[in-house]
Amino acid sequence: MDNLFTNERKETFDKLQLAALVGLMIIGAAFVFSATMVSPAETEKAWFAQVWFRQVIWYVLGLGAGAAVCLVDYHTLARWSFVVYWVMIICLVAVLVPFIGKTHGWGARRWIDLPFFQFQPSEFAKLAFILAGANFLSRPPDELWQPRVFWQGIGLMLLPFVLILKEPDLGSALVLLPTGLVMMVVAGTPRRYLLKLAGIVGLLAALFIADIVFLPARWQVPMEQYQRNRLLIYFGRDYTDFAPPNATKAELQSLRQRQWDDAYNVRQALISVGSGGLFGKGWRQGTQNALGYLPRAVAHNDFIFSVIAEEEGFVGSAIILALYAVVLFTGLRIAGRARDRLGKLVAVGVVMLIFSHVFINIGMNIRIMPVTGVPLPLLSYGGSSVLCSLIAVGLMQNIHIHRRGY
Amino acid sequence: MFLRAPLWLKVNMLVFDELKKNEPHLRLVAAMLLAGLFILLAGLWWVQVVSSRDYQSHLETQSYRTVRLPAARGKILDREGRVLAENHPSYDLSIYLDDLHEQFDAAYGRLLRAARAAQKQNLARAEKQLGRPLTKLERRAFAFSSRQIQDLRDRARLDVVGSVVADVGQKIGQPLTLDPTVFQRHYATRLALPFPILENLDEQQVARFEENYSGNLGAELELEPARYYPYTNTASHVLGYLRRDDRSYEGEESSFSYRLPDYRGVVGIEGGYDAQLRGRAGAESVLVNNLGYRQSDNVWSQPEPGENVMLTINIDLQQAAEESLLKHQGPDARGAIVVIDVRNGDVLALVSEPSVDPNCFITGFSPQQLAWMNDPKLRPQINRATQQNYAPGSIFKPIVALACLQNGLNPNTLVDNPGYVYVGRRRVRDLATPGKYDLKLAIMHSSNTYFITVGMQAGIDAIIRMAQKFHFGERTGLRTRQETSGILPTLDQVSHGWTDGDTANLCIGQGDLSVTPMQMAMAYAALANGGTVFWPRLVARIEPQDKNGPGKATEFPAGLVRDHIGASVHNIQLLHNAMLAETEEGTGQAAQVPGLRICGKTGTAQVMDEHNREIGVTTWFASFAPYEHPRYAVVVMVEGGTYGGTTCAPIAHDIYQEIMREETVTATNVLATAN
Repeated sequence: MDNLFTNERKETFDKLQLAALVGLMIIGAAFVFSATMVSPAETEKAWFAQVWFRQVIWYVLGLGAGAAVCLVDYHTLARWSFVVYWVMIICLVAVLVPFIGKTHGWGARRWIDLPFFQFQPSEFAKLAFILAGANFLSRPPDELWQPRVFWQGIGLMLLPFVLILKEPDLGSALVLLPTGLVMMVVAGTPRRYLLKLAGIVGLLAALFIADIVFLPARWQVPMEQYQRNRLLIYFGRDYTDFAPPNATKAELQSLRQRQWDDAYNVRQALISVGSGGLFGKGWRQGTQNALGYLPRAVAHNDFIFSVIAEEEGFVGSAIILALYAVVLFTGLRIAGRARDRLGKLVAVGVVMLIFSHVFINIGMNIRIMPVTGVPLPLLSYGGSSVLCSLIAVGLMQNIHIHRRGY
Repeated sequence: MFLRAPLWLKVNMLVFDELKKNEPHLRLVAAMLLAGLFILLAGLWWVQVVSSRDYQSHLETQSYRTVRLPAARGKILDREGRVLAENHPSYDLSIYLDDLHEQFDAAYGRLLRAARAAQKQNLARAEKQLGRPLTKLERRAFAFSSRQIQDLRDRARLDVVGSVVADVGQKIGQPLTLDPTVFQRHYATRLALPFPILENLDEQQVARFEENYSGNLGAELELEPARYYPYTNTASHVLGYLRRDDRSYEGEESSFSYRLPDYRGVVGIEGGYDAQLRGRAGAESVLVNNLGYRQSDNVWSQPEPGENVMLTINIDLQQAAEESLLKHQGPDARGAIVVIDVRNGDVLALVSEPSVDPNCFITGFSPQQLAWMNDPKLRPQINRATQQNYAPGSIFKPIVALACLQNGLNPNTLVDNPGYVYVGRRRVRDLATPGKYDLKLAIMHSSNTYFITVGMQAGIDAIIRMAQKFHFGERTGLRTRQETSGILPTLDQVSHGWTDGDTANLCIGQGDLSVTPMQMAMAYAALANGGTVFWPRLVARIEPQDKNGPGKATEFPAGLVRDHIGASVHNIQLLHNAMLAETEEGTGQAAQVPGLRICGKTGTAQVMDEHNREIGVTTWFASFAPYEHPRYAVVVMVEGGTYGGTTCAPIAHDIYQEIMREETVTATNVLATAN
């Protein structure tokens, strides 16, 4: 059994991880196809203009980018990491400027429209943060005892966090926290700092949630109404509880209606996933998506998992989880065998980033997480997300190639 | 080599490997990942396996609409299989809204652009007025509210559907307009069903539509079965009518989103045999998309057609009887005719006038027709043959006579009639000329004196007992929901507070006694056939519409005996002779038909109001024929006639003539086939 892992010294890539990635990409292309080829507007397009094909092109581009990342030793990359980090910070600031950042009708400024592609800086900022953070934390562990270093590390994480939160993109901002915290843990940050930090973050989160969920409207922290609504729905609160005391019956009724409408996506996603049952309805047989109950605008990106779960059932969901498990645990294995602390931290960062995306995205499909616009790596449609995921995996492979004793 | 091992094994080893690492931090991360993935797996198991049925039913309720499909109603046939009630195809024009969905969107887009342009101008004007660009807050006043957007969408739909309707109307040559409220209601409540725009197209319109409109614009012809009564008013009381009713019946699927129009029989055969005629409604499920438009449909339970009901009615005879009644009494005739086959109790004709065309219950009534239907004197919906109590008057006398004969009356005993008779201190007039009367003369001339005298001698108990053998005061058991039992005092009732005057009244068919023409006909049939009282038979059989199908026909046997009178042949023969004399020499001569010897009895009963004042008469002619071997009993009743002999006997004459004609035709046919 052991020789399975010992003889890999001769290999350059972690093939198991690549196999899992290819599996995810095939599934991704198939279900983006299934999710989009239901409206006449889509089916009537030329095949090369259809969404699934664009996704395939992104896979190819992403694989190319990932391979390119592998060409250079990750140490060289890390040396440039702060440049990349600050470029991304500038992009994140730029995206907040109305004439540069585009909303695409979603109310949130997240995109910069380039001629060939809508660039979503927050996706790339996550990668830049991982590289820069790993580079920063890879200093000798003794230095991590200094409070100044600790707070600098925190600042490194909070800067993109706040900027992304400002777009607003709560989901993308949130994935930075576990990624950054776990990287700090693995780097060997002293426990007392970590406990303090965990305490502060936990307290802030608790206060924030309590504020949103329990306090009347005028006491609440400023945030977009739709975000608040998502949280209220997630925590099972009624909108009517926040109505002014003199609200008429019609107003209450309209609030209830609004709540019902706002909970629509979550409800439909749950119905999709649940009605899939054990074995699902078969590829392209899901009615939730085909009949438009699952909104067309999100079925192929944020809610792609609903489509897969409806059409392939629990078995399909479990296969997806298994493929992610392979990617994540091979990633950890790479971290364990990395040549140095930098490699280990980058690998752990990438693993945590992918894991956070998977957990939040699948979690929101089955209502254990609130709805936030987080893509499912490699399965959701989206150029930035696919590119970043494959570049991130390329980083891991890079570390694998330049591992210990190679 | 890696790839050859099964995936799960590799994953297992991989995970295990990471968990036992001696690097505590990575071990912690591995445990965390494992826990996270396990939470997701457990959540998915809960949603997709444990509670999947809940979500599947959610899915069904939101994306399926069930539609109740009524079954094809069975026909009603006469005894020779002629169709009295059937379904004929009715062509309806409907619009399939799902086909227009994209046009709705396009029209909405156009309206929205126009509205935006208009709003932009308003904005520009406002800015000009203020001389500065508006602030964000001020601009908000120019944004469209969701209410306005909704109105635009409504208007877009109305425009599209309105133009299709107008277009179709032009093509078929009948201007059509769209009622916005009707359409909006349909859109809101029955979106998954086609929207009907014109019902009951005539042939020309159907042809024009088929020629000009090959179904490319959402409008389509639909075939709906509509109940149709080819004989219109004929036998309308027997047939009954239908009322719109889409409800589910016991034992049927009941949770439907939509119901297609269905009907329920109210009275008559349609009412009494509704369960058999109706069949079993089927169900269709329509898959709708998130906007509620029809996506596909699937009939998962085929409607089972209802069964045909074959009556004992002879429609020719029925028609002749109705025509005769109307001919003699005019269009507002109020009367009833019952023709019974005395050998087995089959109802050959059951007439009640005035009558309503049952087709009108499907197509609708005009206000005049409605007023006429509710006329308190005409009461066209009452089946006068079975549903109304009448005083029998003199036609009851043969029953009194039989009671007396059985009680030992000598038919030759003469009773002196001075022109009146005293009952106690009350003087009853006798219309028969004064003189001496035996039984035959008394029946011929309908002498009240004679019957009161002999009836008092026999006693009220004997008369009641005899009337009970004929089952007066009881329903005849027709399942038409139109029956009254009539009134006959019980033996118990006549033993307390009963006066001789009451007995005298009963002897001449007045007073505390009421009958229906149907009861009278059954009684005369029993007199005719020598004393067997039958249950009347109106339905001969119930058979499946599809004769080759698996269903089996139900036969209702003829000649179901209800009772035997137990009178002697001699006594009955005496009555036959007396009643023959009545039509051949007495008051019923107008009924005579050459070649047929008819036994009959006329009657003219007074109708009293609550103050015991005479307000009119009920005239009767009750009879059977032929005298030699009676086969038919005919009872004619007319409200507000003059005398039984002059009002009703001529109608009976017409009926017997029709009977003779039919028998000749049958005989000729038999001879022809024999040759």
